[in-house]
Amino acid sequence: MFTHKVSMKPETRKWLPMVRQSRGNTSIWKSLVIAITICSISKLPTCSAQSDEDFFESNVRPLLVKHCQECHGEKKQEGSLRLDSRDGWLRGGERGQAIHPGQPENSLLIQAVKYEDSDLEMPPSNPLTEQEVAVLEAWVKRGATDPRTESATSTAMSLEEAKNFWAFQPLKKPTPPHDTDSTQTQNPIDAFVLAQLKKNNLSPVPVADRRTLIRRATFDLTGLPPTPGEIKAFVNDKSHDAFETVVKRLLDSPAYGERWGRHWLDVARYADTAGDGSDYPVREAYQYRNWVIDAFNKDQPFNEFIREQIAGDILARDGSAEEYADRVTATGFLAIGKRYGYKASPTYQYLDFADVIDSVGRSLLGLSIGCARCHDHKYDPVSSEDYYALYGIMQSTKWAFPGGEEQKRPADFPPLVPAEEAAKRDKAKQQTLARLDREITALKQERAELNPKFLAGGADLGFESQKPGQPPGQPWVSAGPIEVTTKAQSPFDHIHPKGKVGVRLGSGQPTDGLRYVFENGLKATPGGQMHFSVDFRTVTDSLQKGAFRFYLGRGVIQSLAVECSATSTEFAIRNGTKWETICKLTPGTWYTLQLTIDPDLKKYSGIIGTVDNLISFRDKSTGANWDGVADCFICDGFGFIEGPACARDIDNVGLQTIAFKAPGTGPIFLRITDSASQKRLAEIDAKLKELTNNRQMAAASIAYPYAYGVTEGSPVNARLQKRGEPHRLGDEIPRRNLKVLGGDPISEGGGSGRLDLANWITRPTNPLTARVFVNRVWQWHFGQGIVATPSDFGSRGELPTHPELLDWLAEKFIASGWSVKSLHHWIMSSKTYQRASTDNQTNFAMDPSNRFYWRYSRRPLDAESTRDAMLAISGKLDRQVPSAHPFPPVETWGFTIHNPFHAVYDSNHRSVYLMVQRNQRHPYLALFDAADPNQSVAKRQPTTTPTQALFLLNSPFVHEQAKAFASRVATVSGDDRSKILWAFETAHGQIPVEADIQESLRFLAAYRNEIAKESAEHDHEIAAWSALARVLFTSNQFLYVD
Amino acid sequence: MNNIGTTRREFLSRASGGFGTIALAGMLGQNIDLAEDPLKPRIGHHAAKADRVIFLYSTGGVSQVDTFNHRPQLTKDHGKSITASRWLNTSGEFKRFLIKPRYQFKQYGQSGAWVSELFPHLGSVIDDICVLNAMHCDSDGHDKATLAAHTGSAQFARPSAGSWISYGLGTVNQNMPSFMVLAPSAPYAGTQTWGSDFLPACHQGTHVLPGKEPLPNIRPRLADGGLQQMELNLRNKLNETHLRTRAADQMLNARIRSFETAFGMQREAPEAFDLSGETAATLELYGIQQDTTAGFGWQCLVARRLAERGVRFLELIDVGSSNNWDSHGNMADHEKLAKAIDKPIAGLLTDLKQRGMLDSTLVVWTTEFGRTPFHERADHPGREHHKHCFSSWMAGGGVKGGIVHGTSDEYGIRTAEDAVHTHDLHATMLHLLGIDHERLTFRHAGRDFRLTDVHGHVVKQIIT
Repeated sequence: MFTHKVSMKPETRKWLPMVRQSRGNTSIWKSLVIAITICSISKLPTCSAQSDEDFFESNVRPLLVKHCQECHGEKKQEGSLRLDSRDGWLRGGERGQAIHPGQPENSLLIQAVKYEDSDLEMPPSNPLTEQEVAVLEAWVKRGATDPRTESATSTAMSLEEAKNFWAFQPLKKPTPPHDTDSTQTQNPIDAFVLAQLKKNNLSPVPVADRRTLIRRATFDLTGLPPTPGEIKAFVNDKSHDAFETVVKRLLDSPAYGERWGRHWLDVARYADTAGDGSDYPVREAYQYRNWVIDAFNKDQPFNEFIREQIAGDILARDGSAEEYADRVTATGFLAIGKRYGYKASPTYQYLDFADVIDSVGRSLLGLSIGCARCHDHKYDPVSSEDYYALYGIMQSTKWAFPGGEEQKRPADFPPLVPAEEAAKRDKAKQQTLARLDREITALKQERAELNPKFLAGGADLGFESQKPGQPPGQPWVSAGPIEVTTKAQSPFDHIHPKGKVGVRLGSGQPTDGLRYVFENGLKATPGGQMHFSVDFRTVTDSLQKGAFRFYLGRGVIQSLAVECSATSTEFAIRNGTKWETICKLTPGTWYTLQLTIDPDLKKYSGIIGTVDNLISFRDKSTGANWDGVADCFICDGFGFIEGPACARDIDNVGLQTIAFKAPGTGPIFLRITDSASQKRLAEIDAKLKELTNNRQMAAASIAYPYAYGVTEGSPVNARLQKRGEPHRLGDEIPRRNLKVLGGDPISEGGGSGRLDLANWITRPTNPLTARVFVNRVWQWHFGQGIVATPSDFGSRGELPTHPELLDWLAEKFIASGWSVKSLHHWIMSSKTYQRASTDNQTNFAMDPSNRFYWRYSRRPLDAESTRDAMLAISGKLDRQVPSAHPFPPVETWGFTIHNPFHAVYDSNHRSVYLMVQRNQRHPYLALFDAADPNQSVAKRQPTTTPTQALFLLNSPFVHEQAKAFASRVATVSGDDRSKILWAFETAHGQIPVEADIQESLRFLAAYRNEIAKESAEHDHEIAAWSALARVLFTSNQFLYVD
Repeated sequence: MNNIGTTRREFLSRASGGFGTIALAGMLGQNIDLAEDPLKPRIGHHAAKADRVIFLYSTGGVSQVDTFNHRPQLTKDHGKSITASRWLNTSGEFKRFLIKPRYQFKQYGQSGAWVSELFPHLGSVIDDICVLNAMHCDSDGHDKATLAAHTGSAQFARPSAGSWISYGLGTVNQNMPSFMVLAPSAPYAGTQTWGSDFLPACHQGTHVLPGKEPLPNIRPRLADGGLQQMELNLRNKLNETHLRTRAADQMLNARIRSFETAFGMQREAPEAFDLSGETAATLELYGIQQDTTAGFGWQCLVARRLAERGVRFLELIDVGSSNNWDSHGNMADHEKLAKAIDKPIAGLLTDLKQRGMLDSTLVVWTTEFGRTPFHERADHPGREHHKHCFSSWMAGGGVKGGIVHGTSDEYGIRTAEDAVHTHDLHATMLHLLGIDHERLTFRHAGRDFRLTDVHGHVVKQIIT
């Protein structure tokens, strides 16, 4: 509240002591200010006697403090405007200078407080009183005297200052310290760590025993426990490089990628659903997940790994055919974030881009670029221009749309085959479809000619059988003045054979009219068209000025396809939401209208007129929400001109999937349906059925697989969005690199600039990428990073505890060709990695969180490792890579925010393969603190909760695994003691102490005894060993890694 | 057996280290130490008026002018046209028709506050309620507004209010979660509404599903409690051996204790869900025996029982993301939804009061936004989304009863005086619990986050 120091002038000093007394009591302070303000205003007429400065102090300043400065002051600058100094309002905000002294009418501030412009109403929720407005007006009119001067305090780091900030400095090439104890240093990492330990008077604990070490390394690299066989081999390996052998074996195991790929998926905010309100499933997401796992397994150079994730589609164009699909898949990194759109529309993309830009910044550069969306970064050298320079790159990119509330089908997924190949396959598919369509059309035409019932929806739709002089009866429905009459017979005969009667509709109410429901209504089929026809004329002596209309669509105005309308002198059609007049009409003249509707495009064309004078129109829009069904025709009085409609005659209504003959090409004759025709009809029907079936299959066939990724769009620069609001646009910002990383413009002909971005991020002169990634790897090995804030290397992040080590690792990482496996190798070869996790009180007192690595920090198994370890030990783990998730078929997707997608799919595959839903977290993964895919996760936060314990105690999963484990125990030869030893070693990797063996033996005996009392039916052995297994699976020896 | 038991108890008392109450004050700009027990009870920045919150949420957007905001002028001017400056998220000026409330209002209680016929039971306890008739928020989409009402952020996933409060204050009963959500289904935005996001996951809402198994895995899978006890004893023995050389590790202690708590929860939680000990009068008070009110009645009564057991934050959601208060088509929908919650909520307030718990329990009722007092068509029976003005209320826990705070214009379209933003509601909730909303922060991704972001004012006028 008190961001501004109030300096008091003589007038106001009278109440100063009272304020002093009440300091700290905001409400009294407030009411005082109000009281003073009001009392001053009541004296407004005499105020002119006050000096300008006094007027400001006693009237204006309190008002600004009370109503304006909270949002336009030191703490916040809404709209970039400050009202806490003269300089502030002179400079103004986004809309320009806030006050023009002497001109209240030209001052935005006055307009705002007067609520004159609905876009600019200030204060936003509590308008000023009239008197308060009057004070401000008077002040501005008097010249807006304001003694307050600006005290510029910017906390942001300038680009100049950034040069001296550690994270932005080039990688140094530090030499490992020499004067360290050689018994404690296995490699240079130890030298760096030991130097810091010594400096801090800490002494490292010894290295861990081999059982501890292999369990640590195995969980660390693969997320699985070592088998007793693996433990034995390592314990008995007397060679000097025994541990290296273990590390190498683990790095070569496919389980390595499943573990370390998962680490990256945390950072990449991976999920299998889109995350908008309806949370659409993304069938192709898993391909990106598998790509990440494979990339780690094949030790893809990390710089390439990044380049492909940002610009894989571009790299794929010039790369080898074998790599094409992988590279396009890699761009899933960009696409896979939380989506906000209901449909593939630029309206929502600014939020998608906010996620992408923020994720790219945090995950790759350790920079919170997202903070610069609404204003320049408050602490780091990232400006809003920087943000919108990258925004332009994203806007020049075409994004796969996963489906959403309004547009329920995926769109724009990039093909996993090159463009030419995709075009070839598309073309082949189109050709097949076109051929089938031609054959179907020809057969339908022939059928139509054979059986006139088929034509135009049936023989005159029952018109001719209606009784003249009465309203039309079944199957027609009518209301109001209407009769079937010979006077209404159309002269046209190209739709139905010429008959004797038509129908005449009188003027009547708008709701009066005629309705016909087609028995076999038409439904949109891909590539299929619909054809509609009707003949009409207005009755010459009907003088009503209103219009009638023809409606075609599903049901009684349930889903509008097309509407046409006429008065006695004008014919109009509805194009989307607008009525368009097409031509003049002459009362009493018969017209024929034919429409051709394309449900795929939601467009229609048509002709209207007489045989000699036909007017055509095309490319008109159907109802926007039309569902593709046409089964109902209505003629009523709700036309494009309000008021009673004129009387009209109607005849020859028709609806079919093949084109009508042109007006004047008739007449149609009824074909005799003799037995030869009957036979031919049956043949045609059978053939049509077959062809229709073939067409459906051809249309549904997948020409090539897709990726959930991105491709190049149309290059465009974005305009800055003031305060991050997409409708408040500022200057155009050329696409370019962040200023702090060089500010390079995108290269000539560089398309979106994504390839440039990929190159800027991975070039060795950018010190951030390598530093950020080696720090992540370090953190994933040790539980904490050299920089404790792995996604924030900015000024608000933590400083590195071992800056030289960080640079040494980064340098070496780059020099190795960005080999992640080499990085593991160096780290794990160090004594620092191999130290025991034992206590040391002296060290603990000085460095309780082990920031200097005097020991190895004990860690809980994460969600995936806990589950996978239980499955592995029970023997139930399915090591295959599963296929795609069993999502419901895309044709059935109708998810909305009211009925969002939700599913949990069970499996015995490794947990990395579980379906990860964004909006409804997987119950197990959420319970055990797995990454929340709503944003990039730098570091998981393990918690210990009773609800986790309940899962471990009572979940069917734990009980099933324990039972399976008990069956394994049963196959172990020997007595209880041998079985116990096997069980402990398998579950915990350790040989139990004698006391625990004894406890377990007693437990088994007591347990068997107890269940024997209850029932003789049980398999007591399995029950007792299952119980022991549950204890082993849920004890700390299992759940933590030393 | 006894021998093992004694050892276990001794061992556990050493492991848990006792529950101290630490103060939250002075925590500005630093996260609560995660090595600490994150659910340990804490004292706020200032003296608290309330110890716990029961947060009632009606999904879909409840119409203000049909419930608590009596606007007689709207009835008088029914059918007249006005100019609305936005319509269904489209900017521009629109001619729209005023639509009178579908429901009649009358005055209730000493205070004479107006309540519509949708809430006669709430009317009868109106003197304990502070109605907020000038609520407003920033979004008129369900998803965003629901997230904003729960997390303070309309766009990005953030920790929910319950998580923040659990993070700030911990909880007194270690046998129960600190934050529980009683809901037949999730509202818009799914479980994000009670997620803890970047806060430690122990602060996320524990979803209680009304029905047979309200909490997953709460029932022992073993028929015989003695067998489970034997397993617990052996686990503790093994953990004791393990801990002997790792004594300083808080994580290990916390895990050991979590099993004890879970063991307690197996007993206490089903007890809390078991209404067989409640008198017929109490069951009647909550409407448990009538079909229309049985569902929400169960939620309300269980909420009281959980409140008694020390759960810090309880959220009760009436319906999920479909068939809710979103009465676009016909305001008649409001009737059955109101019937389902009116008596149970009034019963809850009455019961809390008669048990002397209302003073220390803050009860809040809200919704994502209001509904338009006007429509495109003069005779349309439905109402659309409306963020500029809606109604909520608070009761108990240091809130003045029998007052109406905030007014709107004569039609209930815009707030007029004493507007209360969703952020303000959150700030006030925290304040009543003794927390300064500007000082309860969490450092994440290089920034100090708050429930109220950079907004929020405590609505001091409604505090006793």
